[in-house]
Amino acid sequence: MPDEIVTILENGRVNGRYYKLAFRSKGLSRKVLPGQFLEIKVREGCDPLLRRPMSYYRVTGERVEILYESLGRGTTLLASLKKGNELRILGPLGREFSGRINGKKRILIGGGVGVPPLAFLAERYGCYRFFIGTKSKKEVLPAREIHKFREEVRYTTEDGSYGKKALVTELLEELLEKEVKDPEDYFIQTCGPNRMMHRVLEIASQHGVEGEASWDERMACGMGVCLGCMVWTHKGWTPSCTEGPVFRFDEMPEGHLWTAE
Amino acid sequence: MVNLETHAGQLRFKNPVTVASGTFGVKDEFARFVDYRKLGAVITKTITLHPRQGNPMPRICETPAGMLNAIGLQNKGLEDFIEDKIPYFRERKIPLIVNIAGESTEEFSTLARELNRCRKDITALELNLSCPNIEAGGVRAIREQKLISRTIQAVRKETGLFIFAKLSPELGDVLETSREAVRAGANGLTLINTIRGMAVNVHSRKPQIAAGTGGLSGPAIRPIALRYVYEVKQALPKVPVIATGGITTWEDAVEFLIVGADLLAAGTANYVNPRATLDILEGITAYCREKKVKSINELRGSLVTHRRP
Repeated sequence: MPDEIVTILENGRVNGRYYKLAFRSKGLSRKVLPGQFLEIKVREGCDPLLRRPMSYYRVTGERVEILYESLGRGTTLLASLKKGNELRILGPLGREFSGRINGKKRILIGGGVGVPPLAFLAERYGCYRFFIGTKSKKEVLPAREIHKFREEVRYTTEDGSYGKKALVTELLEELLEKEVKDPEDYFIQTCGPNRMMHRVLEIASQHGVEGEASWDERMACGMGVCLGCMVWTHKGWTPSCTEGPVFRFDEMPEGHLWTAE
Repeated sequence: MVNLETHAGQLRFKNPVTVASGTFGVKDEFARFVDYRKLGAVITKTITLHPRQGNPMPRICETPAGMLNAIGLQNKGLEDFIEDKIPYFRERKIPLIVNIAGESTEEFSTLARELNRCRKDITALELNLSCPNIEAGGVRAIREQKLISRTIQAVRKETGLFIFAKLSPELGDVLETSREAVRAGANGLTLINTIRGMAVNVHSRKPQIAAGTGGLSGPAIRPIALRYVYEVKQALPKVPVIATGGITTWEDAVEFLIVGADLLAAGTANYVNPRATLDILEGITAYCREKKVKSINELRGSLVTHRRP
Protein backbone atom coordinates (compact mmCIF):
# COMPACT_ATOMS: atom_id res chain seq x y z
CA MET A 1 0.00 0.00 0.00
CA PRO A 2 1.56 3.30 -1.02
CA ASP A 3 1.55 6.40 1.16
CA GLU A 4 0.05 8.46 -1.64
CA ILE A 5 0.32 12.19 -2.21
CA VAL A 6 -2.85 13.58 -3.78
CA THR A 7 -3.82 17.00 -5.03
CA ILE A 8 -7.00 18.61 -3.76
CA LEU A 9 -9.64 19.16 -6.47
CA GLU A 10 -12.24 20.71 -4.22
CA ASN A 11 -12.52 21.57 -0.53
CA GLY A 12 -15.38 23.59 0.85
CA ARG A 13 -18.63 23.71 2.79
CA VAL A 14 -21.64 21.66 1.68
CA ASN A 15 -23.90 22.97 4.47
CA GLY A 16 -23.70 24.71 7.83
CA ARG A 17 -21.65 21.94 9.30
CA TYR A 18 -19.88 19.70 6.79
CA TYR A 19 -17.06 20.23 4.37
CA LYS A 20 -16.44 18.20 1.27
CA LEU A 21 -12.94 17.30 0.19
CA ALA A 22 -12.31 15.82 -3.25
CA PHE A 23 -9.12 14.52 -4.82
CA ARG A 24 -8.13 12.18 -7.61
CA SER A 25 -6.51 8.82 -6.99
CA LYS A 26 -6.36 6.04 -9.50
CA GLY A 27 -5.15 3.45 -7.01
CA LEU A 28 -7.66 4.26 -4.31
CA SER A 29 -10.75 4.73 -6.41
CA ARG A 30 -10.67 1.19 -7.72
CA LYS A 31 -10.29 -0.46 -4.34
CA VAL A 32 -12.43 1.50 -1.91
CA LEU A 33 -15.58 -0.01 -0.42
CA PRO A 34 -18.26 1.75 1.66
CA GLY A 35 -17.33 1.69 5.35
CA GLN A 36 -13.60 1.71 4.75
CA PHE A 37 -11.51 4.70 5.74
CA LEU A 38 -8.31 6.52 4.96
CA GLU A 39 -5.73 8.25 7.13
CA ILE A 40 -4.95 11.79 6.10
CA LYS A 41 -1.77 13.63 7.04
CA VAL A 42 -3.19 17.12 6.98
CA ARG A 43 0.19 18.81 7.09
CA GLU A 44 3.80 17.59 7.06
CA GLY A 45 5.66 17.86 10.35
CA CYS A 46 4.50 17.44 13.92
CA ASP A 47 1.64 19.91 14.31
CA PRO A 48 -0.69 18.12 14.21
CA LEU A 49 1.35 14.96 14.55
CA LEU A 50 -1.06 12.14 13.86
CA ARG A 51 -3.07 11.43 10.76
CA ARG A 52 -6.83 11.90 10.78
CA PRO A 53 -8.98 8.85 10.01
CA MET A 54 -11.94 9.67 7.72
CA SER A 55 -14.49 7.49 6.04
CA TYR A 56 -15.08 7.60 2.31
CA TYR A 57 -18.17 9.40 1.10
CA ARG A 58 -18.22 8.92 -2.62
CA VAL A 59 -16.05 7.51 -5.41
CA THR A 60 -16.84 8.49 -8.99
CA GLY A 61 -14.32 7.29 -11.53
CA GLU A 62 -11.00 8.39 -10.11
CA ARG A 63 -12.54 11.13 -8.01
CA VAL A 64 -12.67 10.37 -4.28
CA GLU A 65 -14.80 12.44 -1.89
CA ILE A 66 -14.75 12.81 1.87
CA LEU A 67 -17.31 14.63 4.04
CA TYR A 68 -15.98 15.96 7.32
CA GLU A 69 -16.70 18.33 10.12
CA SER A 70 -14.25 21.01 11.17
CA LEU A 71 -13.94 20.33 14.89
CA GLY A 72 -10.42 20.15 16.25
CA ARG A 73 -7.00 21.31 15.21
CA GLY A 74 -6.54 18.77 12.40
CA THR A 75 -9.90 19.21 10.71
CA THR A 76 -9.79 23.01 11.07
CA LEU A 77 -6.48 22.99 9.24
CA LEU A 78 -7.90 20.62 6.64
CA ALA A 79 -10.80 23.00 6.06
CA SER A 80 -8.34 25.81 5.35
CA LEU A 81 -6.66 23.93 2.50
CA LYS A 82 -7.38 25.00 -1.06
CA LYS A 83 -7.68 23.44 -4.47
CA GLY A 84 -4.19 22.48 -5.62
CA ASN A 85 -2.80 21.83 -2.12
CA GLU A 86 -1.37 18.40 -1.46
CA LEU A 87 -2.27 15.81 1.13
CA ARG A 88 -0.66 12.55 2.15
CA ILE A 89 -3.15 9.71 2.34
CA LEU A 90 -3.03 6.09 3.33
CA GLY A 91 -5.84 3.72 2.47
CA PRO A 92 -8.21 2.11 1.95
CA LEU A 93 -8.06 0.74 5.48
CA GLY A 94 -10.41 -1.40 7.52
CA ARG A 95 -13.35 -3.71 7.00
CA GLU A 96 -16.30 -2.50 4.92
CA PHE A 97 -20.08 -2.71 5.31
CA SER A 98 -21.72 -5.72 3.67
CA GLY A 99 -22.84 -4.74 0.19
CA ARG A 100 -24.86 -7.82 -0.66
CA ILE A 101 -27.33 -8.75 2.04
CA ASN A 102 -29.27 -11.58 0.36
CA GLY A 103 -32.26 -9.52 -0.71
CA LYS A 104 -32.97 -8.25 2.81
CA LYS A 105 -34.38 -4.77 3.29
CA ARG A 106 -31.48 -2.46 4.11
CA ILE A 107 -32.18 0.04 6.91
CA LEU A 108 -29.53 2.71 7.38
CA ILE A 109 -29.28 4.86 10.51
CA GLY A 110 -26.78 7.66 10.51
CA GLY A 111 -25.99 10.47 12.88
CA GLY A 112 -23.56 13.37 12.51
CA VAL A 113 -20.42 12.50 10.60
CA GLY A 114 -21.59 8.89 10.55
CA VAL A 115 -23.77 9.71 7.55
CA PRO A 116 -21.11 9.79 4.77
CA PRO A 117 -20.13 6.08 4.72
CA LEU A 118 -23.82 5.13 4.77
CA ALA A 119 -24.54 7.51 1.90
CA PHE A 120 -21.73 5.79 -0.02
CA LEU A 121 -23.35 2.44 0.75
CA ALA A 122 -26.81 3.68 -0.30
CA GLU A 123 -25.50 5.08 -3.58
CA ARG A 124 -23.76 1.87 -4.46
CA TYR A 125 -26.23 -0.75 -3.26
CA GLY A 126 -29.50 1.08 -2.62
CA CYS A 127 -31.50 0.95 0.59
CA TYR A 128 -35.02 0.48 1.92
CA ARG A 129 -34.90 3.34 4.45
CA PHE A 130 -32.20 5.84 5.37
CA PHE A 131 -32.78 7.51 8.72
CA ILE A 132 -30.60 10.54 9.29
CA GLY A 133 -30.45 12.32 12.62
CA THR A 134 -28.99 15.79 13.05
CA LYS A 135 -29.13 18.55 15.62
CA SER A 136 -30.78 21.07 13.29
CA LYS A 137 -31.53 22.03 9.69
CA LYS A 138 -27.99 23.41 9.40
CA GLU A 139 -26.59 19.91 9.03
CA VAL A 140 -29.09 18.63 6.47
CA LEU A 141 -27.39 17.55 3.25
CA PRO A 142 -28.32 19.49 0.10
CA ALA A 143 -30.69 17.63 -2.26
CA ARG A 144 -27.97 17.15 -4.90
CA GLU A 145 -25.93 15.11 -2.42
CA ILE A 146 -28.67 12.56 -1.82
CA HIS A 147 -30.52 12.48 -5.13
CA LYS A 148 -29.82 8.79 -5.75
CA PHE A 149 -31.71 7.72 -2.63
CA ARG A 150 -33.79 10.81 -1.76
CA GLU A 151 -37.05 8.87 -1.63
CA GLU A 152 -35.74 6.60 1.10
CA VAL A 153 -34.39 9.33 3.39
CA ARG A 154 -36.19 10.39 6.57
CA TYR A 155 -34.73 13.18 8.64
CA THR A 156 -35.04 13.85 12.33
CA THR A 157 -33.65 16.92 14.04
CA GLU A 158 -33.22 17.49 17.74
CA ASP A 159 -34.71 20.99 17.53
CA GLY A 160 -37.46 20.15 15.03
CA SER A 161 -36.16 22.63 12.45
CA TYR A 162 -36.27 19.97 9.72
CA GLY A 163 -38.03 16.61 9.39
CA LYS A 164 -39.43 15.14 12.56
CA LYS A 165 -38.46 16.44 15.97
CA ALA A 166 -37.19 13.22 17.47
CA LEU A 167 -34.16 11.09 18.02
CA VAL A 168 -33.28 9.15 14.91
CA THR A 169 -33.49 5.89 16.81
CA GLU A 170 -37.22 6.54 17.39
CA LEU A 171 -37.80 6.18 13.64
CA LEU A 172 -36.12 2.80 13.71
CA GLU A 173 -38.27 1.71 16.65
CA GLU A 174 -41.46 2.86 14.90
CA LEU A 175 -40.60 1.07 11.68
CA LEU A 176 -39.69 -2.18 13.36
CA GLU A 177 -42.80 -2.14 15.53
CA LYS A 178 -45.12 -1.28 12.67
CA GLU A 179 -43.99 -3.50 9.85
CA VAL A 180 -41.63 -6.26 10.85
CA LYS A 181 -43.18 -9.72 10.68
CA ASP A 182 -40.02 -11.68 10.03
CA PRO A 183 -36.84 -9.99 11.37
CA GLU A 184 -34.84 -12.07 8.89
CA ASP A 185 -36.17 -9.84 6.11
CA TYR A 186 -34.31 -6.79 7.40
CA PHE A 187 -30.70 -5.73 7.87
CA ILE A 188 -29.60 -2.65 9.81
CA GLN A 189 -26.39 -0.72 9.11
CA THR A 190 -25.46 2.17 11.35
CA CYS A 191 -22.77 4.76 11.90
CA GLY A 192 -22.85 7.74 14.22
CA PRO A 193 -22.24 8.79 17.79
CA ASN A 194 -21.53 5.82 20.03
CA ARG A 195 -24.53 6.60 22.23
CA MET A 196 -26.84 6.49 19.21
CA MET A 197 -25.37 3.20 18.03
CA HIS A 198 -25.69 1.63 21.48
CA ARG A 199 -29.41 2.44 21.29
CA VAL A 200 -29.65 1.04 17.74
CA LEU A 201 -28.14 -2.22 18.91
CA GLU A 202 -30.59 -2.36 21.83
CA ILE A 203 -33.58 -1.87 19.54
CA ALA A 204 -32.24 -4.33 16.97
CA SER A 205 -31.73 -6.93 19.65
CA GLN A 206 -35.30 -6.48 20.98
CA HIS A 207 -36.66 -7.16 17.50
CA GLY A 208 -34.13 -9.83 16.57
CA VAL A 209 -32.86 -7.90 13.53
CA GLU A 210 -29.25 -8.42 12.48
CA GLY A 211 -26.93 -5.71 11.30
CA GLU A 212 -23.61 -3.94 11.37
CA ALA A 213 -22.24 -0.90 13.17
CA SER A 214 -19.20 1.19 12.30
CA TRP A 215 -17.41 2.39 15.44
CA ASP A 216 -15.55 5.64 15.44
CA GLU A 217 -12.69 5.53 17.90
CA ARG A 218 -9.70 7.76 18.45
CA MET A 219 -7.05 6.28 16.26
CA ALA A 220 -3.33 6.65 15.76
CA CYS A 221 -1.69 4.16 13.38
CA GLY A 222 -4.69 2.71 11.53
CA MET A 223 -2.74 -0.51 11.15
CA GLY A 224 -3.57 -2.56 14.23
CA VAL A 225 -0.33 -1.69 15.97
CA CYS A 226 -0.91 1.00 18.59
CA LEU A 227 -4.03 -0.72 20.03
CA GLY A 228 -5.58 2.67 20.74
CA CYS A 229 -8.87 2.31 18.82
CA MET A 230 -10.26 -0.75 20.53
CA VAL A 231 -13.82 -2.06 20.54
CA TRP A 232 -14.96 -4.76 22.96
CA THR A 233 -16.11 -7.83 21.03
CA HIS A 234 -16.47 -11.50 21.93
CA LYS A 235 -12.70 -11.73 21.30
CA GLY A 236 -11.94 -9.02 23.90
CA TRP A 237 -10.48 -5.62 23.01
CA THR A 238 -10.23 -5.64 19.23
CA PRO A 239 -8.62 -2.98 17.00
CA SER A 240 -11.33 -1.18 15.07
CA CYS A 241 -8.83 -0.07 12.41
CA THR A 242 -8.02 -3.54 11.11
CA GLU A 243 -10.84 -5.80 12.34
CA GLY A 244 -13.41 -3.00 12.03
CA PRO A 245 -14.48 -0.25 11.93
CA VAL A 246 -17.55 -2.22 10.83
CA PHE A 247 -18.56 -5.00 13.21
CA ARG A 248 -21.60 -7.28 13.03
CA PHE A 249 -24.05 -6.85 15.89
CA ASP A 250 -23.50 -10.47 16.90
CA GLU A 251 -19.78 -9.78 17.41
CA MET A 252 -20.64 -7.44 20.28
CA PRO A 253 -21.45 -9.13 23.60
CA GLU A 254 -24.72 -7.86 25.07
CA GLY A 255 -24.69 -5.88 28.28
CA HIS A 256 -21.14 -4.64 27.80
CA LEU A 257 -19.81 -1.13 27.26
CA TRP A 258 -18.20 -1.74 23.86
CA THR A 259 -16.34 1.52 23.54
CA ALA A 260 -15.60 4.70 25.39
CA GLU A 261 -18.80 6.58 26.28
CA MET B 1 29.36 2.87 0.03
CA VAL B 2 28.70 3.98 3.56
CA ASN B 3 29.46 1.46 6.24
CA LEU B 4 26.46 1.42 8.57
CA GLU B 5 27.45 -1.68 10.49
CA THR B 6 26.81 -1.16 14.16
CA HIS B 7 28.40 -3.01 17.05
CA ALA B 8 26.86 -3.18 20.48
CA GLY B 9 29.06 -5.28 22.75
CA GLN B 10 29.31 -8.65 21.01
CA LEU B 11 26.24 -7.90 18.87
CA ARG B 12 26.51 -6.82 15.26
CA PHE B 13 23.75 -5.08 13.34
CA LYS B 14 23.79 -4.30 9.63
CA ASN B 15 22.65 -0.77 10.46
CA PRO B 16 21.58 1.16 13.58
CA VAL B 17 17.89 1.61 12.71
CA THR B 18 15.29 -0.21 14.76
CA VAL B 19 11.87 0.42 16.29
CA ALA B 20 10.64 1.32 19.75
CA SER B 21 8.74 -1.40 21.55
CA GLY B 22 4.99 -1.22 21.05
CA THR B 23 5.08 0.82 17.87
CA PHE B 24 5.71 -1.89 15.30
CA GLY B 25 3.53 -4.77 16.41
CA VAL B 26 4.69 -8.27 17.25
CA LYS B 27 4.83 -9.90 13.83
CA ASP B 28 4.16 -8.76 10.28
CA GLU B 29 1.97 -5.70 10.93
CA PHE B 30 4.19 -3.37 8.89
CA ALA B 31 5.37 -5.88 6.29
CA ARG B 32 3.18 -4.16 3.67
CA PHE B 33 5.40 -1.09 4.00
CA VAL B 34 8.78 -2.19 5.27
CA ASP B 35 11.08 -5.06 4.33
CA TYR B 36 12.06 -5.99 7.89
CA ARG B 37 15.36 -7.45 6.67
CA LYS B 38 16.53 -3.96 5.84
CA LEU B 39 16.35 -2.90 9.50
CA GLY B 40 19.13 -3.32 12.04
CA ALA B 41 16.70 -5.19 14.25
CA VAL B 42 13.03 -5.33 15.18
CA ILE B 43 12.04 -4.76 18.81
CA THR B 44 8.70 -6.33 19.68
CA LYS B 45 5.81 -4.93 21.62
CA THR B 46 6.12 -5.97 25.27
CA ILE B 47 5.45 -9.67 25.83
CA THR B 48 4.09 -10.72 29.21
CA LEU B 49 3.91 -14.19 30.71
CA HIS B 50 0.12 -14.35 30.48
CA PRO B 51 -2.19 -12.71 27.92
CA ARG B 52 -3.31 -9.21 28.95
CA GLN B 53 -6.49 -7.40 27.90
CA GLY B 54 -5.03 -3.98 28.62
CA ASN B 55 -6.74 -0.82 29.83
CA PRO B 56 -10.25 0.56 29.20
CA MET B 57 -10.95 3.09 26.44
CA PRO B 58 -10.04 5.81 25.62
CA ARG B 59 -6.40 4.80 25.62
CA ILE B 60 -4.77 7.44 23.44
CA CYS B 61 -4.89 11.18 22.95
CA GLU B 62 -2.93 13.48 20.70
CA THR B 63 -1.03 16.30 22.41
CA PRO B 64 1.25 19.01 20.98
CA ALA B 65 3.91 17.20 18.89
CA GLY B 66 3.14 13.98 20.67
CA MET B 67 0.59 11.63 22.08
CA LEU B 68 -0.40 10.09 25.38
CA ASN B 69 -1.09 6.39 25.59
CA ALA B 70 -2.22 4.03 28.28
CA ILE B 71 -2.66 0.76 26.42
CA GLY B 72 -1.75 -1.35 29.43
CA LEU B 73 0.47 -3.90 27.66
CA GLN B 74 -2.33 -5.68 25.80
CA ASN B 75 -0.73 -8.75 24.24
CA LYS B 76 -1.41 -12.45 23.72
CA GLY B 77 1.24 -13.67 26.13
CA LEU B 78 4.44 -15.69 25.95
CA GLU B 79 3.06 -18.99 24.66
CA ASP B 80 1.48 -17.38 21.62
CA PHE B 81 4.65 -15.36 21.03
CA ILE B 82 6.86 -18.44 20.99
CA GLU B 83 4.52 -20.49 18.84
CA ASP B 84 3.23 -17.89 16.42
CA LYS B 85 5.59 -14.92 16.35
CA ILE B 86 9.17 -16.18 16.74
CA PRO B 87 8.97 -18.52 13.69
CA TYR B 88 8.09 -15.51 11.50
CA PHE B 89 11.36 -13.79 12.38
CA ARG B 90 13.40 -17.01 12.32
CA GLU B 91 12.25 -17.98 8.84
CA ARG B 92 13.16 -14.56 7.49
CA LYS B 93 16.37 -14.21 9.49
CA ILE B 94 15.24 -10.91 10.98
CA PRO B 95 17.28 -9.85 14.04
CA LEU B 96 14.79 -9.94 16.89
CA ILE B 97 14.94 -8.08 20.19
CA VAL B 98 12.18 -9.29 22.50
CA ASN B 99 10.79 -6.76 24.95
CA ILE B 100 9.43 -8.37 28.12
CA ALA B 101 7.67 -7.23 31.28
CA GLY B 102 6.62 -9.15 34.38
CA GLU B 103 4.30 -8.30 37.22
CA SER B 104 6.96 -9.64 39.57
CA THR B 105 10.64 -10.57 39.57
CA GLU B 106 9.53 -14.20 39.31
CA GLU B 107 7.57 -13.50 36.14
CA PHE B 108 10.60 -11.78 34.62
CA SER B 109 12.62 -14.91 35.53
CA THR B 110 10.13 -17.23 33.91
CA LEU B 111 9.96 -15.13 30.75
CA ALA B 112 13.76 -15.11 30.53
CA ARG B 113 14.00 -18.86 31.15
CA GLU B 114 11.42 -19.72 28.49
CA LEU B 115 12.86 -17.31 25.94
CA ASN B 116 16.35 -18.63 26.63
CA ARG B 117 15.20 -21.88 25.07
CA CYS B 118 14.66 -19.93 21.85
CA ARG B 119 17.95 -18.05 22.17
CA LYS B 120 19.12 -19.08 18.70
CA ASP B 121 16.27 -17.03 17.25
CA ILE B 122 16.69 -14.03 19.54
CA THR B 123 19.32 -11.31 19.29
CA ALA B 124 18.65 -9.73 22.67
CA LEU B 125 16.12 -9.17 25.41
CA GLU B 126 14.86 -5.73 26.31
CA LEU B 127 13.48 -5.44 29.84
CA ASN B 128 10.57 -3.06 30.14
CA LEU B 129 11.32 -1.68 33.60
CA SER B 130 9.52 1.59 32.99
CA CYS B 131 5.98 1.00 31.73
CA PRO B 132 3.89 3.92 33.02
CA ASN B 133 0.56 2.20 32.46
CA ILE B 134 0.45 -0.91 34.63
CA GLU B 135 0.41 -1.38 38.39
CA ALA B 136 2.48 -4.44 39.30
CA GLY B 137 5.75 -4.34 37.35
CA GLY B 138 5.10 -0.78 36.22
CA VAL B 139 7.42 2.15 36.64
CA ARG B 140 6.05 3.23 40.01
CA ALA B 141 6.24 -0.25 41.53
CA ILE B 142 9.78 -0.77 40.24
CA ARG B 143 10.90 2.57 41.63
CA GLU B 144 9.12 2.31 44.97
CA GLN B 145 10.16 -1.28 45.63
CA LYS B 146 13.70 -0.69 44.31
CA LEU B 147 13.35 -3.60 41.90
CA ILE B 148 15.76 -2.60 39.13
CA SER B 149 18.75 -4.60 40.34
CA ARG B 150 16.73 -7.55 41.56
CA THR B 151 14.83 -7.85 38.30
CA ILE B 152 17.93 -7.65 36.12
CA GLN B 153 19.79 -10.11 38.32
CA ALA B 154 16.86 -12.51 38.15
CA VAL B 155 16.87 -12.36 34.35
CA ARG B 156 20.68 -12.61 34.19
CA LYS B 157 20.55 -15.84 36.18
CA GLU B 158 18.31 -17.43 33.55
CA THR B 159 19.99 -16.41 30.34
CA GLY B 160 23.23 -15.50 28.66
CA LEU B 161 21.29 -13.41 26.12
CA PHE B 162 22.30 -9.78 25.70
CA ILE B 163 20.10 -7.66 27.99
CA PHE B 164 19.01 -4.10 27.30
CA ALA B 165 17.35 -2.43 30.31
CA LYS B 166 14.70 0.08 29.21
CA LEU B 167 14.67 3.01 31.61
CA SER B 168 12.89 6.31 32.05
CA PRO B 169 13.45 9.40 34.18
CA GLU B 170 10.47 8.26 36.25
CA LEU B 171 12.64 5.57 37.85
CA GLY B 172 14.77 8.26 39.45
CA ASP B 173 18.05 9.81 38.33
CA VAL B 174 18.73 8.29 34.92
CA LEU B 175 22.50 8.19 35.29
CA GLU B 176 22.22 6.50 38.65
CA THR B 177 19.67 3.93 37.45
CA SER B 178 21.79 3.31 34.35
CA ARG B 179 24.82 2.52 36.52
CA GLU B 180 22.68 0.33 38.74
CA ALA B 181 21.31 -1.57 35.74
CA VAL B 182 24.79 -2.24 34.36
CA ARG B 183 26.10 -3.35 37.76
CA ALA B 184 23.17 -5.78 38.03
CA GLY B 185 24.08 -7.41 34.73
CA ALA B 186 22.48 -5.42 31.94
CA ASN B 187 24.69 -5.31 28.83
CA GLY B 188 23.01 -2.29 27.34
CA LEU B 189 20.39 0.37 27.98
CA THR B 190 17.35 1.67 26.15
CA LEU B 191 16.75 5.36 26.78
CA ILE B 192 14.03 6.52 27.26
CA ASN B 193 10.56 5.09 27.80
CA THR B 194 7.54 7.42 27.70
CA ILE B 195 7.09 10.02 30.44
CA ARG B 196 3.77 10.16 32.26
CA GLY B 197 1.53 13.02 31.28
CA MET B 198 -2.10 14.04 31.36
CA ALA B 199 -4.75 15.84 29.31
CA VAL B 200 -8.31 16.79 30.26
CA ASN B 201 -11.42 17.25 28.13
CA VAL B 202 -12.69 20.68 29.20
CA HIS B 203 -16.27 19.89 28.16
CA SER B 204 -16.75 16.61 30.01
CA ARG B 205 -14.01 17.44 32.58
CA LYS B 206 -12.86 13.86 32.23
CA PRO B 207 -9.22 12.89 31.63
CA GLN B 208 -8.62 12.32 27.91
CA ILE B 209 -7.28 8.88 28.86
CA ALA B 210 -9.52 6.53 30.84
CA ALA B 211 -6.60 5.55 33.08
CA GLY B 212 -6.17 9.21 34.05
CA THR B 213 -2.57 9.52 32.95
CA GLY B 214 -0.62 8.03 30.07
CA GLY B 215 2.88 7.87 28.66
CA LEU B 216 3.90 10.84 26.52
CA SER B 217 5.78 9.98 23.33
CA GLY B 218 6.70 11.62 20.05
CA PRO B 219 8.78 14.66 19.09
CA ALA B 220 7.63 16.44 22.27
CA ILE B 221 10.00 14.32 24.38
CA ARG B 222 12.92 14.19 21.92
CA PRO B 223 15.11 16.87 23.52
CA ILE B 224 14.67 15.17 26.89
CA ALA B 225 15.64 11.78 25.45
CA LEU B 226 18.61 13.32 23.66
CA ARG B 227 19.89 14.87 26.85
CA TYR B 228 19.72 11.56 28.73
CA VAL B 229 21.40 9.60 25.96
CA TYR B 230 24.14 12.24 25.87
CA GLU B 231 24.70 12.23 29.63
CA VAL B 232 24.69 8.46 29.93
CA LYS B 233 27.06 7.97 26.98
CA GLN B 234 29.40 10.58 28.48
CA ALA B 235 29.48 8.72 31.78
CA LEU B 236 29.30 5.14 30.46
CA PRO B 237 30.80 5.30 26.95
CA LYS B 238 31.25 1.54 26.61
CA VAL B 239 27.66 0.64 27.42
CA PRO B 240 25.56 0.23 24.24
CA VAL B 241 22.50 2.45 24.14
CA ILE B 242 19.34 2.11 22.07
CA ALA B 243 18.06 5.66 21.75
CA THR B 244 14.32 6.21 21.59
CA GLY B 245 12.10 9.21 22.20
CA GLY B 246 10.58 11.12 19.32
CA ILE B 247 12.94 9.98 16.57
CA THR B 248 10.89 10.85 13.48
CA THR B 249 13.29 11.92 10.72
CA TRP B 250 16.87 11.16 9.73
CA GLU B 251 17.97 14.48 11.23
CA ASP B 252 16.61 13.35 14.59
CA ALA B 253 18.45 10.05 14.24
CA VAL B 254 21.73 11.78 13.37
CA GLU B 255 21.39 14.02 16.44
CA PHE B 256 21.27 10.91 18.61
CA LEU B 257 24.25 9.39 16.78
CA ILE B 258 26.30 12.52 17.36
CA VAL B 259 25.71 12.34 21.11
CA GLY B 260 26.78 8.70 21.05
CA ALA B 261 23.72 6.49 20.58
CA ASP B 262 24.42 3.03 19.21
CA LEU B 263 20.98 2.05 17.92
CA LEU B 264 18.19 4.39 16.91
CA ALA B 265 14.60 3.36 17.50
CA ALA B 266 11.73 5.12 15.72
CA GLY B 267 8.56 4.91 17.79
CA THR B 268 5.50 7.10 17.44
CA ALA B 269 6.85 8.05 13.98
CA ASN B 270 5.73 4.62 12.74
CA TYR B 271 2.12 5.59 13.46
CA VAL B 272 2.38 8.64 11.26
CA ASN B 273 4.61 7.28 8.53
CA PRO B 274 4.71 3.49 8.26
CA ARG B 275 7.92 3.81 6.23
CA ALA B 276 9.59 6.01 8.87
CA THR B 277 12.36 3.49 9.58
CA LEU B 278 13.36 3.15 5.93
CA ASP B 279 13.14 6.90 5.37
CA ILE B 280 15.47 7.40 8.35
CA LEU B 281 17.87 4.77 7.06
CA GLU B 282 17.98 6.30 3.58
CA GLY B 283 18.37 9.77 5.10
CA ILE B 284 21.31 8.75 7.27
CA THR B 285 23.00 7.13 4.29
CA ALA B 286 22.53 10.22 2.12
CA TYR B 287 23.82 12.44 4.93
CA CYS B 288 26.95 10.30 5.32
CA ARG B 289 27.60 10.43 1.59
CA GLU B 290 27.17 14.17 1.50
CA LYS B 291 29.46 14.68 4.49
CA LYS B 292 31.93 12.12 3.14
CA VAL B 293 31.52 9.97 6.22
CA LYS B 294 32.68 6.46 5.30
CA SER B 295 31.61 4.68 8.44
CA ILE B 296 28.78 5.57 10.75
CA ASN B 297 31.21 5.07 13.61
CA GLU B 298 32.86 8.35 12.65
CA LEU B 299 29.61 10.07 13.58
CA ARG B 300 29.03 8.33 16.88
CA GLY B 301 29.84 10.58 19.80
CA SER B 302 31.30 13.21 17.46
CA LEU B 303 29.64 16.11 19.26
CA VAL B 304 31.56 19.33 18.84
CA THR B 305 31.50 21.68 21.81
CA HIS B 306 31.15 25.45 21.58
CA ARG B 307 34.30 27.44 22.11
CA ARG B 308 34.37 29.47 25.26
CA PRO B 309 35.09 33.15 24.83
